[in-house]
Amino acid sequence: MPMRLELRLERSRKLEYLVPVVSVALALLVCGVLLLATGTNPVSAYAEMFTEAFGTSYGFAEVLVKATPLILCGLGVMLAFKMLFWNIGAEGQLHMGAWAATAVVMTGWDGSAWLMIPAMMFAAAVGGGLWALIPAYLKVKLNCNEIITTLLMNYVAILWVAHFIYGPWKDPVSFGFPMTRQFPDGAQLMRFGDSRVHLGLLFALVAAIVLYLVQEKSRWGFEIGVTGGNPAAARYAGMNAGRNMILVMLMSGGLAGLAGMAEVSGIQLKLLKDISPHAAPYGYTAIIIAWLARRNPWGVVLVSLLMGGLYVGGETVQITMKLPVNIVLIIQALILFFVLGGDILSRYRLVYRRGVSHSPPSGGTPSAPPRGDGEVLGGG
Amino acid sequence: MTKARVAVSMEGIVKRFPGVIANDRVDLELLEGEIHTLLGENGAGKSTLMNVLTGIYRADEGTLAVRGTPVQLRTPKDAIDLGIGMVHQSFKLVQTHTVTENIVLGLGRGLAPVKLSEAEEKVRELSERYGLQVDPGARIWQLSIGEQQRVEILKILFRGARILLLDEPTAVLTPQEADELFVTLKAMRAKGHAIVFISHKLDEVMAISDRITVLRGGKNVGTVRTRDTDPQDLSNLMVGREIRFERFPGEEVRGDEILEVVELSASNDRGLEALKEISFTVSAGEILGFAGVAGNGQEELAEVITGLRTPTDGSIRLKGRDMTGASPKQVIDAGVSYVPADRHGVATVGDLSLTHNSVLRRYREKKFARGPFLHLAAAVDYARRLIKEFNIMTPGEGTAVRTLSGGNLQKVILAREITTHHELLVVMSATRGLDVGATEYVRETLDEHRKKGAAIVLISEDLEELLSLSDRIAVLFHGEVMGILDAEGADIETLGLMMAGRKLAEAS
Amino acid sequence: MTRTWRRAGFTSLAILLTLGSALLFLACGGGEDAGPGAGTEDAAARAGAAGGIPVKAAFVYVSPVGDAGWTLAHDGGRQAIDELPWVETAYTEAVPEGAEAERTINQYVRNGYNLIFTTSFGYMDPTINVAKSNPEVTFMHCSGFKTADNVGTYFGRMYQPRYLSGVIAGKMTESGKVGYVAAHPIPEVIRGINAFTLGVRSVNPEAKVHVVWTQTWYDPAKEREAAESLLDIGADVITQHQDTPAPQQAAEKRGHYSIGYNSDMTSFAPKAHLTAPVWDWSVVYKKVAEEVRDGTWSSGQYWGGLEDGVVGLAPYSDLVPQEVRDLVEAKKAEIVSGSWDVFTGPINDQAGAAMVADGESMSDEDMLGMTAFVEGVVGNVPG
Repeated sequence: MPMRLELRLERSRKLEYLVPVVSVALALLVCGVLLLATGTNPVSAYAEMFTEAFGTSYGFAEVLVKATPLILCGLGVMLAFKMLFWNIGAEGQLHMGAWAATAVVMTGWDGSAWLMIPAMMFAAAVGGGLWALIPAYLKVKLNCNEIITTLLMNYVAILWVAHFIYGPWKDPVSFGFPMTRQFPDGAQLMRFGDSRVHLGLLFALVAAIVLYLVQEKSRWGFEIGVTGGNPAAARYAGMNAGRNMILVMLMSGGLAGLAGMAEVSGIQLKLLKDISPHAAPYGYTAIIIAWLARRNPWGVVLVSLLMGGLYVGGETVQITMKLPVNIVLIIQALILFFVLGGDILSRYRLVYRRGVSHSPPSGGTPSAPPRGDGEVLGGG
Repeated sequence: MTKARVAVSMEGIVKRFPGVIANDRVDLELLEGEIHTLLGENGAGKSTLMNVLTGIYRADEGTLAVRGTPVQLRTPKDAIDLGIGMVHQSFKLVQTHTVTENIVLGLGRGLAPVKLSEAEEKVRELSERYGLQVDPGARIWQLSIGEQQRVEILKILFRGARILLLDEPTAVLTPQEADELFVTLKAMRAKGHAIVFISHKLDEVMAISDRITVLRGGKNVGTVRTRDTDPQDLSNLMVGREIRFERFPGEEVRGDEILEVVELSASNDRGLEALKEISFTVSAGEILGFAGVAGNGQEELAEVITGLRTPTDGSIRLKGRDMTGASPKQVIDAGVSYVPADRHGVATVGDLSLTHNSVLRRYREKKFARGPFLHLAAAVDYARRLIKEFNIMTPGEGTAVRTLSGGNLQKVILAREITTHHELLVVMSATRGLDVGATEYVRETLDEHRKKGAAIVLISEDLEELLSLSDRIAVLFHGEVMGILDAEGADIETLGLMMAGRKLAEAS
Repeated sequence: MTRTWRRAGFTSLAILLTLGSALLFLACGGGEDAGPGAGTEDAAARAGAAGGIPVKAAFVYVSPVGDAGWTLAHDGGRQAIDELPWVETAYTEAVPEGAEAERTINQYVRNGYNLIFTTSFGYMDPTINVAKSNPEVTFMHCSGFKTADNVGTYFGRMYQPRYLSGVIAGKMTESGKVGYVAAHPIPEVIRGINAFTLGVRSVNPEAKVHVVWTQTWYDPAKEREAAESLLDIGADVITQHQDTPAPQQAAEKRGHYSIGYNSDMTSFAPKAHLTAPVWDWSVVYKKVAEEVRDGTWSSGQYWGGLEDGVVGLAPYSDLVPQEVRDLVEAKKAEIVSGSWDVFTGPINDQAGAAMVADGESMSDEDMLGMTAFVEGVVGNVPG
């Protein structure tokens, strides 16, 4: 029987709460079956993951470490998505931020952290921001598809970083291995206690507060919300979408750039390859986070913590329960799959009949309910 | 014509949408070898009827027979199999593929793929037979709009269509391209095809069609032979011969001249000329109505006045200040309020609350600002005031406006625009799709507003509305003003003739 | 707007809370698993029987065990010591290099492992960092250069079997062009290319080794393409530094020869594969585990060669003529005896200038920091 999606004219309030709950429960259930198939007790695996990530101080500190770049990138991506600018380029912006922050250190400057850290932050935000500005400008002036430009620029940024660590910035005493020398003390972010949690977490939380104020309270945030909600209405309201897009992308890229700076200056303490993990790069995970967070800054913080927990907990069960490496990725993917799927089902209903009345013409995206007279294509 | 076979016969078609009857017991008969025009205002039910005929919608009642055989169309494919094809206004072509590739797209089945060389030969043959000149090997992005339309027509001919529906095909064409299209349509008629031609342009309709069916309010109000009718009859049929309305008396004394438009020209989105050297003035306490069949430049006129479209020539002055080419924001700041025709698509943001929508064009004002922040409390107060004063039915000011009914949404927009301090109010299709109560409310509101001294430009396809509200009525045809006459005692037949392209001097 | 947005916040919160409560619920219900430390007593008992400290050895791998290359070789070594009654082993696959690895290493420490092998260069700093705060644990880092009181390094003189495989390539090539699919431009890889080239030219002085960089360790598609580009310019023997057999398969498809790496890759390209320079880490792992058990381990830099068996050549395929085998075996005996090593002068660089003077040998330090190609290599070191 052919199926089709039909727009729900009214969205149920109950569904909006129920859907994510059911989605996550289903994801855990399916993963459970998978775990059983590999001969693991899913109950103890989940318990182990959860207690390690959120039940031990070491584990939770590591969750925070992991969440820091995710929050920063996630906020940046969220802001761009809010305006319907599909910034897939947080990964590249993160790399350019890390590069720019490192450039400050590579001048040979060995000063006080009070001066070096702000300088590096500034450089990183500018580096990431300018990198994001290029696709924004191309979009505004030439209507270039930003999904393509931001995605491809990621590769350029990663190779750009590679060039410097293989070439001019290579540590002379690293036996030719690709990395810079370790940053001087003044260029390292302060850490909290014995943990690896560093000042970057504070940047992330401050950024969340600022974005919350911008998005929900400021008039500029209102413009972004209107532009994202209905670009034609934004024009009608006299808003300058092009200028806003440039500003939004400066901020979006700047935040991802800060994430890069926080990673090199707070965790890696040098610039090297793999500042963003291969299996789940921060810049790409941020896209998932922005989606799941429903474009809400606090949502980004919460989902980033959850993602961090999934990683940390997942690594633990690999070690303690000898689970295959891919289990974390599968769980992560399944949760995303179910939540996004649930999101669609809360907005559309699945119909099993053919030739159903008052649905949009086949092939068209079901975006708007038909007007009263059904003249969807009517002229004039 | 005497022994022409019936290609399609639709009887008693009823199609309901929530709250609206889009087709109300419509009968339609198409003959082989005829060009049959479907005429009607926006919302008259033309597209719905065609969607029923192409299997996109299923009629709630009524029967459909193709070449004498009763059929049930469940999907667009069923319609294609019966030889019914439609050319939509927006083309569905893959820009980077060739003409032939687009035409055969979706035709290959399982183990029997389409042979491109054979297909290309057939495309070439079809294009010669019907005078649809296009290079089968060209890529779509290289083609003009007119050529792309030919590809769409070839696409349905390739699938063996004998019944062709064309939804406003000339709306996107230059006059030369339209002429070429007519040659093709005549060639197809000569080969015995049945063609449905949807258009607003009465001169074209008179020139090309054999018979004309007029829809109004979802009903078939008459099918006539073209040779037995004239544009005036048609426009009367379209708008209704007997318009009953009560005039809101205008103000005796008009105030200062507010808007002065001089020889204004503008292009539409396709770059074709949409407004030609239009001149008019509007004074305080006056409603100037703009009549005309849809697609004659109304939308462009509203957009040019409100800064959403840049004029190509001429000037706009607001209270003596030159506003030609001003940005939307400058126009808002200068005091122009605007109620656009598209309530969902332009005038509001569906996912945002009523509060936020109520300050959509006002959020820059000091009243709603606190430094860089939005003064939400003030906006909430304002929204509550609007809800109360304009009797908007909503659970509260925090409700997303997407959930409001059409009438309530229009009240939100109207309330916002009217209560914003302004010099000029531009209103387009203010009551389209609203029920009787809401319509009456909107009209009363506009009338009251005029009495308070507002200058209003009222653009509408609804003659009744224009006659009841306007002080003067201008008629737009092909982007030109056919004339401006006093609404008091205006002759409907004269208006009909002007809407069909006669100048005021010739019509009266 | 505020309302809908706030609702979105609740939704995210709901996601988190649901997951949280679900896991809490599960946590309460799932107590039957023994969890970490299981079997420790057993191992202790067995170790006691053998005398000394029981060894819990953990391995941190950079790629999945199924990679057919680097990690497979390490896992072979792990399995060898896992069979010892007093050793218990565990491993984690695909651990990101860089600071991310610190957490994995720490987890092993927290789970009571007392010997941790980190098997990729990128784990160097994380290993040092974790070692700093855990002096009671022994760390062994593969391929790096930083040591500490409880951190040793280990590596093998892969350049020796590389040289030997080069001799075979030099004998087998007819076009005089040998293709080398290179990974990342780091000293280890450059050293391998140079040794291989010296081997090729020792028997075929006019031959050239053409190098293409993939900048990958594990990317079958990219590595196959690189191999194909070398075959396209006329190379008729292909070798590689990555962990996938893709270049081997590319060579077989064109009917040319190939030399594998890391492990015996014969099964992937039986009609092309001549031999492969391979690792046998069990030698190192056994020795270290014994030292840790006995408490005799001390930090150092281990760099073993053919004589220890930590590196070697995979069995020759039938495609290698006896005459060539004899030549290679003779050279191998020379290296094992210590009378000669690969980087013995005269060796010129690409420009023809002397790199190692006649009669002199390159120091280990120079070999470990090698960044330039020798004469006979066609290609550049990027960066």
